[in-house]
Amino acid sequence: MNSKMRTVVNEHMDAIIEKWIELMKEEKGERFFHFMPQHLVEKTSREFTALMTSNINEGESALNDERLDDFTEKVIRFGWSIKFVNKAIDNFASVVFEMLEDQEVITEQNLRIFMGVFTGWINPLRESIIEAYAVKWEQTDTLQKVALQELSASLIPVVDKVSIMPLVGTIDTERAKLIMENLLEGVVQQRAEVVLLDITGVPVVDTMVAHHIIQAADAVRLVGAKCMLVGIRPEIAQTIVALGINLSDFTTTSTLRRGMQEALSLTNREIVEVE
Amino acid sequence: MDNRSSVEIFTEWDIVAARQLGRNEAKNSGFGTVDQARITTAISELARNIYLYAGKGKIEIDRLSTDGMKGMTIIASDEGPGIPDLRKVMEDGFSTSGGLGAGMPGVKRLMDDFKVESEVGKGTIITATKWLR
Amino acid sequence: MNVRIPILKLDEVLIVSIQWELDDQTAIQFQEDLLNKMHETTARGVVIDLTSIDFIDSFIAKVLGDVISMSSLMGAKVVITGIQPAVAITLIELGIRLENVMTALDLENGLTKLRRELEA
Repeated sequence: MNSKMRTVVNEHMDAIIEKWIELMKEEKGERFFHFMPQHLVEKTSREFTALMTSNINEGESALNDERLDDFTEKVIRFGWSIKFVNKAIDNFASVVFEMLEDQEVITEQNLRIFMGVFTGWINPLRESIIEAYAVKWEQTDTLQKVALQELSASLIPVVDKVSIMPLVGTIDTERAKLIMENLLEGVVQQRAEVVLLDITGVPVVDTMVAHHIIQAADAVRLVGAKCMLVGIRPEIAQTIVALGINLSDFTTTSTLRRGMQEALSLTNREIVEVE
Repeated sequence: MDNRSSVEIFTEWDIVAARQLGRNEAKNSGFGTVDQARITTAISELARNIYLYAGKGKIEIDRLSTDGMKGMTIIASDEGPGIPDLRKVMEDGFSTSGGLGAGMPGVKRLMDDFKVESEVGKGTIITATKWLR
Repeated sequence: MNVRIPILKLDEVLIVSIQWELDDQTAIQFQEDLLNKMHETTARGVVIDLTSIDFIDSFIAKVLGDVISMSSLMGAKVVITGIQPAVAITLIELGIRLENVMTALDLENGLTKLRRELEA
């Protein structure tokens, strides 16, 4: 049974792949099969089918981790969702099943036995692929978090005595600690007398975020500099007031430009045009 | 276990000894300057609480290494009067000694994990852990 | 055993640089010495430099806060300079804000700031 199935599947591989691609293209919101270069689609599809047939071609244990890893890493990069991967497996299974029926490998008589063989083939594969996908996804997720932490929160010395820290993205407790450390080390190192915390890139300022910002500003005051909050968008001003957060001890401005002027005047300087 | 070191707290000088031990242990464990300051300060607060409220007790410091996580645990124990109202001492601004009242909630904020066990008339054990990031 | 923190006088300003870890006795002794010196010399300003201090607990923070309040009662302004980032972070996390305290990055900035305050 198995050997016959294997022979027929291998013989008709090209037709299977073609049909499978057709089916995948019909998926709603599908981008990969429509917009990627043809040779890339072809290659990825062959890798996928090779993966799917590895355990009938090379025996049960042939589904090696390396191949699985390579494939999942690739499709994650291509932006395949886990749902899409699942659908790809479904489609592959139904294409193969239809083909086996057409070739009369599957008949009315052996249907019951064959179902067992067939699910014994596809299901373990599905499990392994989904698991590999989840593991890879977690890794990607952790990497992104680290990357975000690394790129976030550097203090930039703009002019003598004035430095700027642009904050981008959501601020959680972990990041807030990092921001505070970078901010203070930077202030002391750069001998900044005024620092501008720019929150233009912070999507939401809730009580927690405001609390972290207030703490950071307090700490800046302790090391001997002044902290100003700039880049307060109208909706942020609205939420701050609505939440009853008191920022009255702060100098705040709506734009970085006005903050900069303020910072210069605090350090007894101004920008003049050269005639 | 040689990952543990300790200082008995009897006098004000022992507070200094405890935090010096803590600072060295923190430095040797690979903590950065900010975490060193956090740990030293936490030990100072805990040791002073022992000195002020229990009269005598002990600060123990364990170096931890579990599941790839490294860290440091401070165990402050005494056989003093105990804490009658645990919830109250964890409120910001609460103090019975006329200090700044930053003690317990402050220590909790400085460390990652924090646990108080106390029985009136028997004593108090405070366990606080900082993990190496 | 008792080490005293030296207090220097420069014109109208007293300068204190704390060079080693403060124990409770030294801290209290310092508070007393500083107030006496202020009284003797009629200094109008004090700069306390903490550059070499790598931690401050609530007790020392309280002593410092008290010194500042007492000095202002005696008509003198205090600037604290050189608080290390790690110290600032632990103070904030402890919940000690040291409000109404003038601060500066270092001794030099502190003296400038103080002179400006005294002239005003």
